[in-house]
Amino acid sequence: MGITFDFADVLTGPPARWLLSGFLTTVYVTIAGSVLASVVAVILMGLRISPGRIGHYAAAAFVEVFRDTPVLVQLLIWYFAVWGLLPESLRGFVAEDHPRAVWPVNVIVLAPEFLCAAWGLGLFISVFLEEELRAGLNAVPAGQREAAMAQGLSNWQTLRFVLLPQALTNAWQPLVGQYLNLMKTSSLATGIGLAELTSAARRIESYNAHALEAFAVGTVLYLGLGVAMGQLLLFAGPRRPGAKAADKPLAVAPMRKAGHAV
Amino acid sequence: MAIVPMTTRYAGSQTHIGGSAADDAASASLTPAIEFRDVYKSFGSLHVLRGINLAIAPGDVVAVCGPSGSGKSTLIRLINHLETVTRGEIFINGVPTATLRGRPLQQLRTEIGFVFQQFNLYAHLNAEDNVSLALRKVRGVSNEKARQRAAKLLDRVGLADKARQYPAELSGGQQQRVAIARALATDPKIVLFDEPTSALDPEMTGEVLHVMQGLAKSGITMMVVTHEMSFAREVADRVIFLDAGVILEQAAPADFFNAPVNPRVRRFLKQLLSPLSPG
Repeated sequence: MGITFDFADVLTGPPARWLLSGFLTTVYVTIAGSVLASVVAVILMGLRISPGRIGHYAAAAFVEVFRDTPVLVQLLIWYFAVWGLLPESLRGFVAEDHPRAVWPVNVIVLAPEFLCAAWGLGLFISVFLEEELRAGLNAVPAGQREAAMAQGLSNWQTLRFVLLPQALTNAWQPLVGQYLNLMKTSSLATGIGLAELTSAARRIESYNAHALEAFAVGTVLYLGLGVAMGQLLLFAGPRRPGAKAADKPLAVAPMRKAGHAV
Repeated sequence: MAIVPMTTRYAGSQTHIGGSAADDAASASLTPAIEFRDVYKSFGSLHVLRGINLAIAPGDVVAVCGPSGSGKSTLIRLINHLETVTRGEIFINGVPTATLRGRPLQQLRTEIGFVFQQFNLYAHLNAEDNVSLALRKVRGVSNEKARQRAAKLLDRVGLADKARQYPAELSGGQQQRVAIARALATDPKIVLFDEPTSALDPEMTGEVLHVMQGLAKSGITMMVVTHEMSFAREVADRVIFLDAGVILEQAAPADFFNAPVNPRVRRFLKQLLSPLSPG
């Protein structure tokens, strides 16, 4: 016996709409989470490198909490525990109809599921972004800071105009990896009822039992999104200016087994 | 960073920058540009400088030499607070500076150029932006004016055509010349050099020393930590010999090289000038 594929039942009708809507939800939650993660990461790094002891330890504790606990648990806590603690008025506001908060295709962004997912994913990834950024900062030679100080730049100006641009260049590759992690981790938001791509595939499975086709299409969509996102971020990101050929990453030739040359 | 009110002891900073030549001449006869009074510097239990007393007149070019680890670099790094004084006081144009913090310290630093052994050009900025950064961000000069000044300074060090090049695209000698242009950006009256040619290939030291020689003639006060004895002999007004944190000898180059008083200096010079001869 063989396996027969029936993609028609996945790529037409309601399943196609669910997939498209789920895919766009994944895109939106990734963008919202990434923006939040970036802002929080910069604040955390500022606290960690500032001379103040309290800020330093608070940021360090924040990093440990979010890095060392399961992200699924974090999402469940935000959605099932913390959301309920918010003021009634705020939850009521979110529960109302907001026509402008319905993005194509039929994705409600002003909803507890979307907000908790973007918030939870953003905070989770922010601590990894902070660690990458700080590693990039540590890789900037000490002489750069000395040169800036010797020219009368303040601590903040030294950070802003000399150290951070170079830290960002140093850390850009691993930072892109973390943004991709955020996109992939968004699949866990299916656990708090966000109708994103993974949840769409599961819905198709329970609708017409075409699990293999549904998850195949979902996987291809994740892959396409990841490749596009990675390429876009690398293209738009900072580059080492004036790098000579010797400084560029080595192109590693594929290895061939000896004696098997054609 | 602590915000220190402008009422700190270092205050009259702008006066000599914008002052007339007559003012400069008047103050020159009275106040040294740089004066060390009984300065000590320790890193923990390591005593790097032990009781430095030194006065340098405005416009003087002083070469600082001595064996490795004698405290030469620390001596000039104290002047613009890349290191802080452990004990004693350093006067710049007669104003005590050892306890400066915050804005007044930034102000002082813009009036003292510093050239590093490893150039330390900002790797993410091209030559022009390297020169103009402090003008734009610290002095608040407009982008256009800062660019023009950078172009002029790059021309002065013979690199007018390299304004758009990044440090990684320049040779060591070119990088150090850009670094000198950068040190001159805020029009300092004092420029400190920390072994400016030690990281260069021999054939590139000439172009850097040439720029420094031109600078020496322009009336800028210079302190140069160097192993280039030809520079010390031909350009410096005075040579200082430092060993184990103490100034052993200071003299005009002719006296220093021809008739050194201190036996330790005689040994040092002999080794430096003819390293292969038996001790």
